[in-house]
Parts: sequence; structure tokens; C-alpha cells
Amino acid sequence: MTYITNGFTLKSWLLTKDHKRIALMYLIAVSVFFLLGGLYAAAIRLELLTPQSDLLESGSYNKVFTQHGVIMVFFFLIPAIPAVLGNFFLPIMIGAKDLALPRINLLSWYIYMIGGSLTLYALMQGGVDTGWTFYTPYSTTFSNGYVMAVGLGVFINGFSSILTGLNFIVTVHTMRAPGMTWFRLPLFVWANYATALVMILGTPVVAITILLLALERVGHIGIFDPSIGGDPILYQHLFWFYSHPAVYIMILPSMGVISELISNFSRKKIFGYEFIAFSSIAIAVFGFLVWGHHMFVSGQSMYAGMVFSFLTMVVAVPSAIKMFNWTATLYKGSVSYDTPMLYALGFMGLFLIGGLTGLFLGSMGLNVHLTDTYFIVAHFHYVMVGGTVMGYLGGIHYWWSKMTGKLYSEFWGKISAMLVFVGFNLTFFPQFILGYQGMPRRYAAYPEELQVLNIFSSAGASVLGLGLTLPVMYLTHSLIWGKKAPANPWMLPGLEWRIPSPPPTENFESTPVVTWEAYEFGEENGLDLDEARKRDLATV
Amino acid sequence: MSTHDHYHPPGLQHQFEDMKQQEESVSIGMWAFLVQEIMFFGGLFTAYLVFRSRYPMAFAAGSNHLDAFWGGLNTLVLIVSSLTMALTVYYAQKGNRNMQVILIIATMFFGAVFLGVKAIEYSDKFNHGLVPVAGLNHKSKAEEPAAKEEGKTAAGEKHEPNPRGEFQWTGENYEASVKIITEAHEKKYLTKYEEVGYYSNGELDQNKVRDKVRIFYWIYFVMTGLHALHMIVGLGLMTWLLIMAWRGTYSADYYSPVEISGLYWHFVDIVWIFLFPLLYLLGRHFMHGGGH
Repeated sequence: MTYITNGFTLKSWLLTKDHKRIALMYLIAVSVFFLLGGLYAAAIRLELLTPQSDLLESGSYNKVFTQHGVIMVFFFLIPAIPAVLGNFFLPIMIGAKDLALPRINLLSWYIYMIGGSLTLYALMQGGVDTGWTFYTPYSTTFSNGYVMAVGLGVFINGFSSILTGLNFIVTVHTMRAPGMTWFRLPLFVWANYATALVMILGTPVVAITILLLALERVGHIGIFDPSIGGDPILYQHLFWFYSHPAVYIMILPSMGVISELISNFSRKKIFGYEFIAFSSIAIAVFGFLVWGHHMFVSGQSMYAGMVFSFLTMVVAVPSAIKMFNWTATLYKGSVSYDTPMLYALGFMGLFLIGGLTGLFLGSMGLNVHLTDTYFIVAHFHYVMVGGTVMGYLGGIHYWWSKMTGKLYSEFWGKISAMLVFVGFNLTFFPQFILGYQGMPRRYAAYPEELQVLNIFSSAGASVLGLGLTLPVMYLTHSLIWGKKAPANPWMLPGLEWRIPSPPPTENFESTPVVTWEAYEFGEENGLDLDEARKRDLATV
Repeated sequence: MSTHDHYHPPGLQHQFEDMKQQEESVSIGMWAFLVQEIMFFGGLFTAYLVFRSRYPMAFAAGSNHLDAFWGGLNTLVLIVSSLTMALTVYYAQKGNRNMQVILIIATMFFGAVFLGVKAIEYSDKFNHGLVPVAGLNHKSKAEEPAAKEEGKTAAGEKHEPNPRGEFQWTGENYEASVKIITEAHEKKYLTKYEEVGYYSNGELDQNKVRDKVRIFYWIYFVMTGLHALHMIVGLGLMTWLLIMAWRGTYSADYYSPVEISGLYWHFVDIVWIFLFPLLYLLGRHFMHGGGH
């Protein structure tokens, strides 16, 4: 009996403590939010087809980009990989029956749903127009939107993130199977562990910040209001103390997925395992020391700016370490180009651009020129979409057969991966140029001479939209008509490939004893791909 | 139904191999939770630090109006409750049901005393117009000043009428803060934020001073309020522990719920150990003749 067939009632899902079922419930929920955020993005790109503010007037435009940001950041990018893929595979990859705290896991899903529902309610009531950063004094004094309700939604949602992180930390510490030492952990587990550290250290700070914002809005006490002695910059400090590390909550798990994909689809032990593992921890640590680079022009001290600028350069080092090690892993590997690998290679290209433009922006002088332009928008979309979404989709395709027990269509998979890559670049590369030419972000209107590049960008968005819609269709299709998946379609060594697809409720018949290193390919492990091809097991 | 047939002790959840793994997990879980609690309070401590270093005199003046006796008493109460909590864990390990029940009740008693004292302090602030949010103070008409109803205010203390329940920093309170601010101004001790934060055109501005003191009270209420909320959650935990201990659930083999509830209780105490000096004690000497 698999985890899916273990009970068919609604109650057996809504009250489940099975990490795999909770992961699927998260999958459905984050997909809905992703769709919604995507619709807002479509509205933005439609408005920007023409230089005039015609489809949306400025006020509505403010709401649309704010809601796009709030939904995508807090309700899709942050939970997507940890809560779906991490929830499903972290326990399996370390040889455990479940996360250490299954009830807390279920609680985190409910908290996510409550926070999400509250935010949706606020959006339907009239929305919020402060930008996803809720900067004071827009959010405290000037905004007429539902700042309180959306803020409360984000506040509540934060605790779901904290509980997931807490659960991962405990699980990695105490639930590893015999023989699964720290340096035998798959790198996806390391990445999620580092993410979990950021979640429990950073999220409470934004929670208290939003609480203060709410009190300020209700009580007009002046903590963030300079006219009565408060300090709006303090809000920015507190906000970015979380929200910069939050970028690493989004990107680190994706890097974990990419490590899995690059090694497994090169059929080669990953190059520099320890360096990749520790670079995740280094990113988690240094990620907390760079928040000031969001505030170079906010009026923080110039010397603080110099330190933050330097530390921003430093935090690029561990990311670069990962990139070099992945590249070295590909070298002389037997690389195959299955759909997940296409996403992984796409990630490498896009994240490279996203990361390097981050260095442009981390340089104080250049930042003054580029801040609040489309250059910023392009940069963080290269990191968040090019990084996180590519990793997420790669991971979903990679593990789809394990999660559902069905094989999706490789043909359509590859088509959509390429559409996403092309569409993404077409959407966001022009925005680098637009930003460099001085087009500010967050305006519904722009000078006419910038229209050509904006049309490119909007056209790209529709290609990207198509590329993202296809997986919904062929993955859903595979659920019903897909071929039944074997336990190990790609002949890979990880623990998750040694159990049936889909896994039984308890994951393992008996607790596995791990005697091998991570990513150990070898014929003695029965992982001969050619042999498997002959037996018609593999999809490649 | 279970695929393995080894012995399962009572209280062992299905995902764990043995009790040791379960105890380790819940204990690390609680520690991780406390780490996030530290960060949660950390945001407030940061706000405190920022504004205290900007407006030390306003903070000293505001702090002086908190009653160090009540604060000190509460500190004592909480330290004793930590002792009874630690002893609860000890007797849970011994499997001594009666002592557990007695000590949990004692812990809850001290927790309740703490909240009672806090309520007395809050109502005092309410009556004196020291709640920083407009409308949340005692609303007094011009002909019946709030101080009179209180009955125990110092003779000669004057209170302005407060018909809309606003935050007030008037009368003796204000005069006392004028004294220390002027003195610090003359000795050039004021921070640059204070120079512009208290004065308008070279004159001390009562409204400006009030706004800075209000920031102190705002921080006081958020910090102690959040702390009190944690105390209430702690009392909830204790109620649950009490029921379980009454049923004789805990023994040398199984006591981790007592242990991790204890960790939580001690954490909440420790937060107060920081709050008390920061809010009640720091800067008092400015008001009481010291200052060198």
C-alpha cells in the first residue's frame, strides 16, 4: 500500500501527519498562489506594452505590482522548495520514516493556509499598494489599502516558515539512519538545513517588525515617524535583516536541487562535496550581514554602506564556489539532457547572470545609478525566477515519478523547459538595458523611446507564461494517463530511488543502513544505465 | 499494522526508533524554538537600543515613573518560580507524583502573582495617562482630575484633565524631566538627537519631550506585553503538565514534556531578567541626585 492509497477520505488528507501527504497539500496550495502571482505579472506586462498608463491607472498599478510581489515572495518562493520538495524528500533522503515532528508539520500547513487566506481576503477587499516591502511611511501614514490585513497574513505565514525550519533542523540532527553521517547527506539536505537556519533566525525578526508596523498604524505612536522622534530607516533595517536572508531562503534549497541534478545527470560523484555543503552554511551566515546593501541610498551611514558593500562581495564567494564545483562535475561526466537537467543547466546560466549583476548592484557607486530602476527588477528576477523557479521546476520533474508513481512526457517536458528558458531571457534581459537607461521601477507610464524593449519584455512574458502552463497540463495528464513509474527510472544511487514509487506510508520497510557515500555511481550498485535501457526501464 | 515488531514503550511516537531519539528530538526542537524566540524579542531589544541611545534623558524620565518596587518584586517572584520549575523536572525524573503536582501548582501560583502585579502596574499607567496610545487611558473631565480618584498620589501632584484619554506627560513628571534635560544641556551631555528632539528654537518644547517619553512607554508596553503573553502561554503549558502529572504520566523513562516546558519557562524568566534592569533601573540615578 502506498502513501496515496492509504486512505481516500478528505479527513485522511486534512488530518494526516504523513510528510508526503503534507508536501502534496503544500504543492497544491503554492501552485494556486503561483498562478495568482503570475496573473498579476501578466497584468503588469500588459500595462507596460504601451508607454501610457492606459490599461491600469497608477493607483491600480501600484496594487497590482505590490500584490504580485507579496504573493510571489511570501506565498510561493519562500515555501515552494522547502515545504514541497524538502518536506517530501528530506526524511526519505536521510532514511527516516517521517520528519521528527509530524504534528508541527501539519500545523505549519494550516498556518500557511490561514495566512494565505487572510491575504487573499485583503486582496479581494481592495488590496494593498505599498510595494511588497511595506516601507514606512507609505504603509503607516499614506496607504489607504489593507496594509493591516496583508501584514497580518504575512506575519502569520512567517510562523509556518519558522515551524518548517525548526522541523528540518531537528530532523537532520536526530533522524538520520544508521550510517548516514553528516558527510554522506545528499547536498539537497545540506541546503535545506542551511535554509532552516535562516528561517528560524530571520523570520521572527520580520514578524516582530510587522507587528510594530501594525501597532504604529493603529496607535500612531511614532516609532517609525520622524516628525515625532521615530525613525523610518529603523523599519528598513529590521525589514531587510530578514528580507535579505529571505532571498537565501528562496535560493539555497534551489541550489540543493541543482546539486542533485548536476551530479545525477552527469552520472558522476559531485565535485567538491564538502565545499558545496559548507558553502550553503557560509551563505546562511554571511546572508545575515549584507542587508544594508538594500539601503545605500536610504540615508544610512556612508561607512556602514562601505562595510555592507564589502560583505556583499564576500557573500558572492560561496555562490561562486557552488557554480565552479557544478561546472567541474559536468567535466567528463556522462551528461544526459533529460528535462530536469535542462532546468539545471538553465539555472546555471541564469543564476550566473543574476549573481554577477548582484555584484554590480553591491558596488555603492553603481548602485546609486541603478537603484530603483528596472536593472534591479531584472537582477532579482534572474535570481528568484532564474534561480528558484528553475530549481523548483527541475526538482518537480526530477522527483515527479517518485511522488506520483507516474512518468510524465519527456517530449513535452523538454519543450516546456526550453520555452521557459527562452521566454525568461526575452522577458528580463531587456529590463537590464531599460534599467541602465534609467527606467524607474513601479511606474505605470514610461517615456516612448523605451517602448521597443518593453514590447520585447512583454512578448517574452507570454512565452514564459506558455512555458509555465505546459507543465500544469502534461503533469496533470500524467497523473491519469502517464506510464507507471519504476522505482528507479534513471538508475540513481540516492536513498529515495531505492524505495517503491510512490513510497509506502512508512517510507522504508525497515530502517536502512547506509554504507555508501552520496552520489556513488558504480556498477556494483546495480546502477548500470545501459543495462536499464535494455530492460526498457529508463526514460532517457 | 506496524511493519516492525520490536517493543514499543508507551509515549513513543511512530516516527522514532526509541525513546532516546524522541527525547533528543523534542529537546532540540525546543532549543530551536527558543532561538527563534530570542530573535523575535531581539527586534524589540534593537528598537530599545536605538531609541535609548538617542534619547537617554527621556528614557530616564520615563523609566523613573515605573515602580522599581513592583518590578523588583516580580523579578523575585519569577526567580522563585524558576526554582520550583527546576524542582518539578527533578521530581518528574524521580517519578514522584505528589511533589510534581505541588511544585507545578507553586510555579503556576508565582506565574499568576507576576501577572497580577503586572495588572496593577498597567492600571496605574492607565490612570495616569501613560499608555502611549490615544484613547486607551482613563478619560477624566476637567472638574474631576484622574489623580483624585486614585487617592494615593503624592500630595500636590497636579494632573491635567484628560478628556480623550491621551498620553500625558505633564505636571511633576514633566518638571522632573525638564530638570535633568536642562542640566544635561548645560553640561553638554545631550545627544545630537536630543538637541533637536527636545528643543524648538532654543526653548524646551513640552510636546516634543512628551513624544520622546511616549516612545519609552511604547517600548515598555510592547516588551512587557509580549512577555506577559508568553507568561500566559506558559501558564497554559503548566495547566497541561499539571493534568498529566496528576495522572502520573511522567517517570524516569519519560519526562521530556516536563523538561522542555521547563526550558520554555526559564526562557520567559530570563527575558524578564533583561527587561527589569533595562526598563526600570537604567538611568534612575539621573532623577535621584546622582549623575556622576
